[in-house]
Amino acid sequence: MTIEGAPLLDLEAVQTFYGSIEALKGISIDVHEGEIVTLIGANGAGKSTTLRSINGLNHPRHGTISFKGKDITHEPAHQIVRRGIALSPEGRKLFPRMSVTENLEMGAFQRSDKAGVREDMDRVFDLFPRLAERRNQKAGTLSGGEQQMCAIGRALMARPTLLMLDEPSMGLAPIFVQRIFETILEVNKQGTSILLVEQNALMALEVANRGYVLETGRVVLADDAKALAKNEDVRKTYLGEI
Amino acid sequence: MRRRIREEVAAVWWRLAALVGLDRARWAALPRMTRRTVKVLVWLAIALALIAWLGVWHWSALPGAAVVIALVLPDWGRVSKWIIPAAVLALAIGYPYYGSKMPELPLFGPFPMVSTMVIAGVFTMMALGLNFVVGYAGLLDLGYVAFYAIGAYSAGWFASSQFSGTNLNFGAVGLYKGATGVHFSIWLVLPIAGILTALAGILIGLPTLRLRGDYLAIVTLGFGEILPQIANNGDHLFGTNLNLTNGPEGITPIDGPGFGNGLHKLLGLPANYLTAGNLDAVFFWTALVLVLITVFCSARLRDSRIGRAWIAIREDEIAAAAMGIPLMRTKTWAYATGAFFGGVAGAYYASYKSGAFPNDFFFQISVFILCMVILGGMGNIWGVIFGACFLTYLNYEGLSNIGTQVNDHLGTNIDLPKYEFGIFGFILVVVMLFRPEGMIPSSRRAAEFHEGVHDDPLYDIAT
Repeated sequence: MTIEGAPLLDLEAVQTFYGSIEALKGISIDVHEGEIVTLIGANGAGKSTTLRSINGLNHPRHGTISFKGKDITHEPAHQIVRRGIALSPEGRKLFPRMSVTENLEMGAFQRSDKAGVREDMDRVFDLFPRLAERRNQKAGTLSGGEQQMCAIGRALMARPTLLMLDEPSMGLAPIFVQRIFETILEVNKQGTSILLVEQNALMALEVANRGYVLETGRVVLADDAKALAKNEDVRKTYLGEI
Repeated sequence: MRRRIREEVAAVWWRLAALVGLDRARWAALPRMTRRTVKVLVWLAIALALIAWLGVWHWSALPGAAVVIALVLPDWGRVSKWIIPAAVLALAIGYPYYGSKMPELPLFGPFPMVSTMVIAGVFTMMALGLNFVVGYAGLLDLGYVAFYAIGAYSAGWFASSQFSGTNLNFGAVGLYKGATGVHFSIWLVLPIAGILTALAGILIGLPTLRLRGDYLAIVTLGFGEILPQIANNGDHLFGTNLNLTNGPEGITPIDGPGFGNGLHKLLGLPANYLTAGNLDAVFFWTALVLVLITVFCSARLRDSRIGRAWIAIREDEIAAAAMGIPLMRTKTWAYATGAFFGGVAGAYYASYKSGAFPNDFFFQISVFILCMVILGGMGNIWGVIFGACFLTYLNYEGLSNIGTQVNDHLGTNIDLPKYEFGIFGFILVVVMLFRPEGMIPSSRRAAEFHEGVHDDPLYDIAT
């Protein structure tokens, strides 16, 4: 599963710590332009930490992260957002007392092209007509599915080259999960590369091009999504087959 | 109800207008300014006709006119937004004229003196400054008095005889012949003090704002204690003869404000506040102007990009960082802005009291200002103003008035002002129990207090 060309995002032996606890024990992954790449693994495998390391929320202690060929390992989070990496964090983390529109505006905090921001807001509302209906409602009063839409929309407002989604299907009704994954495909089709962290491995491998399996801070498997979905170990551990 | 009446009136109005050949659609098609001008002219004509008809101007016409205006005013929503602030402002401006003539209130006794109102203005400014930090950005600052002190001492450095080695006079008023030291006009000293204090705020903020919650509170508390100590011991800084603060005696006298003789003759502005006949009144009006500027900046900054970032940080720091809000820079801005207004207030107060004394800058003042913000309503400008005025009044006059009244009626002998901090503490406990969002809360804050906020552990995202 080798891919031609330089990767968009490249992690080389990244080690990230929480205090003295080593959460990532040397992770190397890459995402190429136009791809959907998924990280799957159990709780505590280091999936969210990987995203936080890329995003600058937890800087790695060792290893390098490069984006579009530039080393961004130690750049502050706001700089990384400006470079074109947006994160929809785990647990959605909306600003609950701000309206949907205000939340979306916050996503575009680093941008100064007002016309473009308005355009993207329309695009988000096209993507999620449900949000358009509730645009003046406080985000904290939305349903779980609507909140997830708002979180994804907020990340899209940064007009990212790489969109990172942390557990977008967590705690959602099946119908919403379906809707969210359709949207992920659509966003990808519009030209945004996606790094997807999921516990719902079946769904994730269905939409992704490639996948990495993480276990206690290490990559234990890396393959095409289809191959991973057929892999016996993966099926046993993550797809719930006996 | 009001809308129904207005619609009825409008219907009658259009039936009358139709008789003259006007119709509604064509009217609506006219440009807005034209419509408004015509409306004003028509009402002027009606008013003139009424005056002419009544023969002379008569007070009894006023209530009638008020009713008519209330019913007809085209955009009640927009006007009502300004009516209350305008009324409050008018009441405040007129206070030196009617304050002393007001009847005594039961329990509270006479209305506060104008000098107390000056102090209320100063504390309102400081509370609004602290509101940037506590109310908007949600950072607990227990050392705000440090900024007050820096502001006051800046006034001492730039408008007194403290540095008698250098002689510099830049627009200061009321100096005696041969005065030594640096004397800037107070109007210059105020912004200088503000900027110096803001710089100090940045210096203090850079190391401390990496901390969160309780830790931040403790460190700011420390700074609030350190600065008065420096003030107290600053007459021989680092064992040299550098006398920065004049030690326990403080810097006094500090020049008063004034506009000088030129502007006095030209515009009638007071030449020198200290020799003005209505000294307290001019100080009060000036404080009012400063408060207005602070309110304006508060409102504008709250609705700006950085204001939105403050609120985002308060609501969810991780999400804010993930959205690309630079946490440190944004928090430091909140700190510096708050410090700026604290500094201006401190300098003005020093000029009013004509001195900066280390004993004025106790920890209690920090708590006192924080109480104002909490009691009034964090994040709400009106609430903070209310809290500041009410607590200043209680502290300077209210408690002793109430004490006297209670003693007179019950024959007791309680020295109520002695218990001031006990009483403030009690008020604060009651507020936190029954109305944690403050007396006049901001809608967002009220929601936070009733739903709780996310407060997850945060690792090294202080960038």
